[in-house]
Amino acid sequence: MASLSPGPLRRYRWKELGLLFIPFIILLLEMIQLPIAQLYQSKLQTNQLSIPFTPAILPTIRDLIPVLGLIAALAALNMLLSFFFPKADQVLLPLVGLLSGIGVLMALRLGPEPLVRDPMLGTRQLAWVLFGLLICAATLFLLRNMNWLKRYKYTWALLGILLVALTIINALRVKNLNSPTHDQLNFGPLNLQPSELLKIFIVVFFAAYLSENRDVLTEGNFRLGPLRLPPLRQLGPILLMLGIALLLFLVIRELGLALLIYGIFLSMLYLGSGKLSYVIGGLLVFVALGFIGYKLFGYIQVRFAAVSLDVVNWQNWSQATVDFSRNGAYQIVQGIIALASGGIIGVGFGLGHAGALVSVAQSDMIFTSLGEEFGLAGLFAIIGIYLLILYRGYRIAIEASNEFDQLLAAGLTSIFAIQTVIIVAGNMKFLPLTGIPLPFLSYGGSSIIANFIIIGILLRISHNTALERAGLA
Amino acid sequence: MNLDVFLLILRLLLIVLLYLFLMQVVIAITRDLRKTAAISADVAGKAPPVVGHLVVVDSGPSAVLPGTRFDLQPQTTIGRGPTNTIQLTDNFISGEHTRLWFRNGVWYVQDAGSTNGTFVNNQPARDALAAKLGDIIQVGFIRFKLGA
Repeated sequence: MASLSPGPLRRYRWKELGLLFIPFIILLLEMIQLPIAQLYQSKLQTNQLSIPFTPAILPTIRDLIPVLGLIAALAALNMLLSFFFPKADQVLLPLVGLLSGIGVLMALRLGPEPLVRDPMLGTRQLAWVLFGLLICAATLFLLRNMNWLKRYKYTWALLGILLVALTIINALRVKNLNSPTHDQLNFGPLNLQPSELLKIFIVVFFAAYLSENRDVLTEGNFRLGPLRLPPLRQLGPILLMLGIALLLFLVIRELGLALLIYGIFLSMLYLGSGKLSYVIGGLLVFVALGFIGYKLFGYIQVRFAAVSLDVVNWQNWSQATVDFSRNGAYQIVQGIIALASGGIIGVGFGLGHAGALVSVAQSDMIFTSLGEEFGLAGLFAIIGIYLLILYRGYRIAIEASNEFDQLLAAGLTSIFAIQTVIIVAGNMKFLPLTGIPLPFLSYGGSSIIANFIIIGILLRISHNTALERAGLA
Repeated sequence: MNLDVFLLILRLLLIVLLYLFLMQVVIAITRDLRKTAAISADVAGKAPPVVGHLVVVDSGPSAVLPGTRFDLQPQTTIGRGPTNTIQLTDNFISGEHTRLWFRNGVWYVQDAGSTNGTFVNNQPARDALAAKLGDIIQVGFIRFKLGA
């Protein structure tokens, strides 16, 4: 190290490394607990009541390899960022690293469960997270010039529409809209979910378009009753994009994605124009659309019926309600039971039953599995981590130096916010349950990759801002 | 020690570690905020100095009165948009019309991609042009004189 000047060491991202320390310990601890918990459960099934603890049941180093690999990758990314992007935000990576680490552990833990029955689940999730970290670094290097994103905004919009078209064709080909894979594209062994990339394209397009037409949109010269609406000519391309996306997801029954995209649209319109009246107007339209959708589509009615179930009062259920809870609302009722059995501190990692009783516990319903095993305290901590990610994202947006970067950072952060709210509220029966992944925790390659691309863009924006600040000072 | 006791200890340890991590992040963020607050207080204390003026000599078709003085900062932007240092509401001025900057005692003028152009002594300033005191700078159809 003698040849290196003190520069790299002084610029080293010590804060990030320090913040990564506790996540590393947490991940190691859980990895140690997992085989012990599995042993404990198998002993319980043979009616052995008191099992003594001996050091012999502690896992060996070989058993810890998945988590050690993830730790090495996070440390390597920390080092890489220190040398090439020392000024990028230092808080995001530890937060995201811990969440995706817990996601890998959950996949490892849920893989062998009877309803999942996929022993390679954890290994694949680990591979996706490692690949995601790589993609995150690649995004940082590729986005040398943010204007490049802005200039080709119609290209991004076109790519988005292309993804939509591919998804529709695939859905029509599969025909069975109830199969969980009808929104995926299969390239050999890879199952890609185009909607994950679509959300990024939509935000980039909205950010570029709104930052260019901001003056006109804030004036709002088109009057409709008491509401001042933005001129239709300026809003046209955005509405078109929105319409296509919404139509798609209503046609192929992706209610969650339709909600997500509409949420992104409203929050970005508000961020770009600062007018609450647009948001209120948008919400009114949404209520109207929702009502039409409710009347037209049976599957939406079923999901709303599940929300109105009174689970606490289950003893007084009529036979019809009991039947409904065993068919249409089976997943959500089992999820609620899993959440409730977690209690305050949870039953312990690897000891829950969500994987055996709740369908798709590894992706859509992961929040209930987490709730059962980590308890209310653990869920609060996880929500806290999400809040800190959101805070950091909006902070990066506020500090960014130009409008496009601001809108882009805020829009991308809003994706996390809306997605988390939709799926967490869905799991807890506050909203109709929809099939979108919980960022970083749910199993799924496309979602992990897309989320790491978002983190890469956010880190790059924060790095650019800090560089500009340093240049001016 | 029984295995369930050991598992209970691990469970409690996990919760404690999770909240320690959250606390550590919050402390790091608060420290960050204090630092940026101190920096922005520094910047706010020093309002950008006025290093020159533009005086309207010919208002063209706009409503700006001839003789109006605009303060120039070391980095000045002129345009119709609300983010510009000098905001002119005239139909012939683009959202971001002209950039002026003061370096080593010389003013530089460059068009910022406007529709109706920027001129220094009737020369189009598509690339950065140096301007002396007393030069005529035309932004759209409004003509200014550069003054100290």
